[in-house]
Amino acid sequence: MSQLLEIKDLVAGVEGKSILKGLSLSVGKGEVHVILGPNGSGKSTLMNVIMGHPKYEVTGGSIAFEGEDIADLKTFERAKKGLFLSFQTPEEIPGITVENMLRTAKQAITGEKVKIVPFRRQLKALMEELKMKPEYAERYLNVGFSGGEKKRTEILQLLMLNPKLAMLDETDSGLDVDAVQIVSEGVAKFHNEENSCLIITHNTRILEKLKVDKVHVLMNGEIVEEGGPELIEEINSQGFTHILDRHSEGK
Amino acid sequence: MEKKIFSRIPMRTWRWLGVNEARAPENIDSEIKNKQILVERETEESLVLTHREAGSYEVQIHLEAGARLNLVLAQLTPADAAYTCRVRAHVADGAELHYTVVEAGAHETVTELYVDLVGKESKADVWGLYLGDGDERIDMNYVIRQSGKLTDANMQVRGALLGESEKIFRGTLDFLEGSTGSVGRENEEVTLLSPKVRNRSVPIMLSHEADVDGHHAVSVGKMDENKLFYLMSRGLDLAEAQRLVVEASFRPVLDRIADTALQEEIDTFLMRRLANG
Amino acid sequence: MAEEFSPKKKTYVEDIERTLYDIRDEDRSAYKTHSGLTKDIILDISKRKHDPEWMTEFRLKALETYNSMPLPTWGPDISELNMDEIVTYVQPDAKMTGNWQEVPEDIKNTFDRLGIPEAEQKQSLAGVGAQYDSEVVYHSIQEDLVKQGVIYTDMETALWEHGDIVREYFMTLVPPKDHKFTALHGAVWSGGSFVYVPEGVHVEIPLQSYFRLNAAGAGQFEHTLIIVEKDASLHFIEGCSAPKYNVTNLHAGCVELFVKEGARLRYSTIENWSRNMMNLNTKRAIVEKDGIIEWVSGSFGSHVSCLYPCSILHGENARCEFTGVTFASKGQNLDTGASVIHAAPHTSANINTRTISKAGGAATYRSAVKVTRNAPFAKCSVNCESLMLDSESRSDTLPVMDIEGDEADIGHEAKIGRISDEAIFYLTSRGIDEEEARAMIVRGFVEPIAKELPLEYAVEMNNLVNIELEGTMG
Repeated sequence: MSQLLEIKDLVAGVEGKSILKGLSLSVGKGEVHVILGPNGSGKSTLMNVIMGHPKYEVTGGSIAFEGEDIADLKTFERAKKGLFLSFQTPEEIPGITVENMLRTAKQAITGEKVKIVPFRRQLKALMEELKMKPEYAERYLNVGFSGGEKKRTEILQLLMLNPKLAMLDETDSGLDVDAVQIVSEGVAKFHNEENSCLIITHNTRILEKLKVDKVHVLMNGEIVEEGGPELIEEINSQGFTHILDRHSEGK
Repeated sequence: MEKKIFSRIPMRTWRWLGVNEARAPENIDSEIKNKQILVERETEESLVLTHREAGSYEVQIHLEAGARLNLVLAQLTPADAAYTCRVRAHVADGAELHYTVVEAGAHETVTELYVDLVGKESKADVWGLYLGDGDERIDMNYVIRQSGKLTDANMQVRGALLGESEKIFRGTLDFLEGSTGSVGRENEEVTLLSPKVRNRSVPIMLSHEADVDGHHAVSVGKMDENKLFYLMSRGLDLAEAQRLVVEASFRPVLDRIADTALQEEIDTFLMRRLANG
Repeated sequence: MAEEFSPKKKTYVEDIERTLYDIRDEDRSAYKTHSGLTKDIILDISKRKHDPEWMTEFRLKALETYNSMPLPTWGPDISELNMDEIVTYVQPDAKMTGNWQEVPEDIKNTFDRLGIPEAEQKQSLAGVGAQYDSEVVYHSIQEDLVKQGVIYTDMETALWEHGDIVREYFMTLVPPKDHKFTALHGAVWSGGSFVYVPEGVHVEIPLQSYFRLNAAGAGQFEHTLIIVEKDASLHFIEGCSAPKYNVTNLHAGCVELFVKEGARLRYSTIENWSRNMMNLNTKRAIVEKDGIIEWVSGSFGSHVSCLYPCSILHGENARCEFTGVTFASKGQNLDTGASVIHAAPHTSANINTRTISKAGGAATYRSAVKVTRNAPFAKCSVNCESLMLDSESRSDTLPVMDIEGDEADIGHEAKIGRISDEAIFYLTSRGIDEEEARAMIVRGFVEPIAKELPLEYAVEMNNLVNIELEGTMG
């Protein structure tokens, strides 16, 4: 069976500066993958490129989703295919309420008119689970939200839009213990054998409720090491340098 | 006799506000003390100008591509002086003007700054400080014109008014057509320390280019009571606490003066006047 | 390849759908003055309007003031305006009535299209005034308000039936010598609404006056005078429109609002004049102790606008809330803003504006905040944001703060820029297409203002903001 997401030899950068230098990675259906790597290694770039951020230029390689090349698709078309990105720093957009945005997005993705009553009921229930005050539905998207509230709003969107692939870009960073708990429960609630997760994290707590299938170590724009969940432990205790050493020896 | 117009804002507004033009002092010595600064391509220069005598000054600055100028101008003229100063700068591709100006002396100060960010990725970083007391009059008109692509303008002004002083600060960021990708920031913070002062602030932003990011802010008022309370709870009396808070607001400007002797001189001068006010 | 939604691509907002406003009636006016401005014309207007003697004198004095004053030296270019070509008084062939059936059919149809009688019937308005050219053709008010002593009528009726009150207040807040166009107004004013709300009376449902200028090359000079007595409250809505002509029309209305101790007045305006209109309007409010003036102001139409509602906070704790949106498109120069004069202790003001410019339109935000020495502890916060949709357009911000004394707390913040690429990316990453994402962002930009508008106007404003993206994508 073909992979859900299959990236081959991806070369991409911004303003003539290359950031991803021939990266390959694939995620199967129902799997949970974790990407580790030091700051500036290209983790966020990778997710932005997968989502089709116009700032980045792809100059080589391919990105396939469910066997289909998505490199020419616009961002909203990728979202409709079932890709989702939980942003590291979600945008503040004044004047658009959380509910309005979600309803518009849901309508766009499903192509059907969203029925207001069941939609509101679902929204309310999920917000309760994420310990969000109901009035946040009527607040402008992320405007004046604390770091934790922004991340919870990202998870709320994840649960409402129910994509096939959830990419989480440091969704747990900068959060206190309770907030990480809420977010990780949210991700665990989302995940089932029909969908997949690709997670950038520095924190193992978010992974506690998930079964990690594979770990990729990204350094300097390339995947330098792949392995099982044991890699997380190894890096937490020994850092990235020894992997880099091992990698250069291998070359 | 009607006072001569020294400088105008780029766009006029209601006359009753009296801010459309700055007029030169009546008794000014009109002989101009001129200074020209040329910084050549890809070189860097640091310069301190100290104006200690009354009169009319002019400074012309030309920065060639990739040049960088750190200019400090300290106006420390006597308390009865009439003073005008006109600074004009032309900034070419990738050149940077770092300008720090302290208006601390004179009975009547009228100044103009015109920076032309002509070059691509040219930059102006302007930090100004003023202190008015007695019946001083301070009148400033700063304009940064952004015509190059990807230019960067920053105008930061801090001031305090005591006694019966009056001040006008006009700061304009003008994004001309074609200044795509440019950013501009302007911020003025004024502390009012006497019931008899008059402060006028005119932050102007003009734009004929959609692809820019401009922001200006002004805050005028008395001191933050919480800050004062905090300091007083540590044993300072009101005057000391006030002095400390004003000094703190001046700090970012003063810290840019690398010449420590001059920095100290200005600091002492300002603090003495604050203490008397 | 990364997709091609270039972040530098421009957004085009379609022109405001104006068909509704542009239907013009045949000019069947009963009487028109000659164009231009002379003593004879003023005397003629005054006679036809059956002015009391003091008003005739007032007009003549204002004319002298007009002739002695220069044109303003700031603001948009108004040199296209030639007063010799403006017809200052156009009397419709209709008598003022309280019954729509008695309004001539074509005039009634005009107001029908604008939805005025319908809103009145639905009881979403407690009173309606409708002016057509220089005279008010319809005025009504709910009976229970009349019983409570509320007066809502046209200025001409007020001049006779409530002459003492009118004489006490008329053009005292905006004197003719204020500027050239208030002098003009003083000389040729006609029509407008008079509202008097007695002490303690709360008018729960809004009153609305609608001003329609049908005649080409004419001027409209309506005068609105509102007095809200102690502890009373009112919401007043003003609407204006005109069909488009190739000749210049002039609107130089005047609004004087007196908000007494503890009273509250909300004054909402949606201005949608046609693109041949010079809109040189003057609005001012004086607010006494604990009183509140709330302005909601939408400027969409006209060729040139100069509009800066002024609030004089005259009594302790008086407050002003100003909310404004301006949308300048092709051929428009809209110079709008607000001014606030803090003249008493503990007065406070909030000014919140949004401007959009596109297709070569010019929008200027102009304001003045004055704190006098008599106003310790004055507080004022200003926030204005401008969105430019292309570089043919202009967007300028010119605020002045003039603060005396050391107890004021004044904050001003302004932003100018374009639609953020990151915001577009965020929304498209949720499956919303780029066009809709832009539309959402523009609507979001004006949302803080739209939510202050009466519902039907908020809907109208959202319709105005219909977005079209240049070119195709991908």
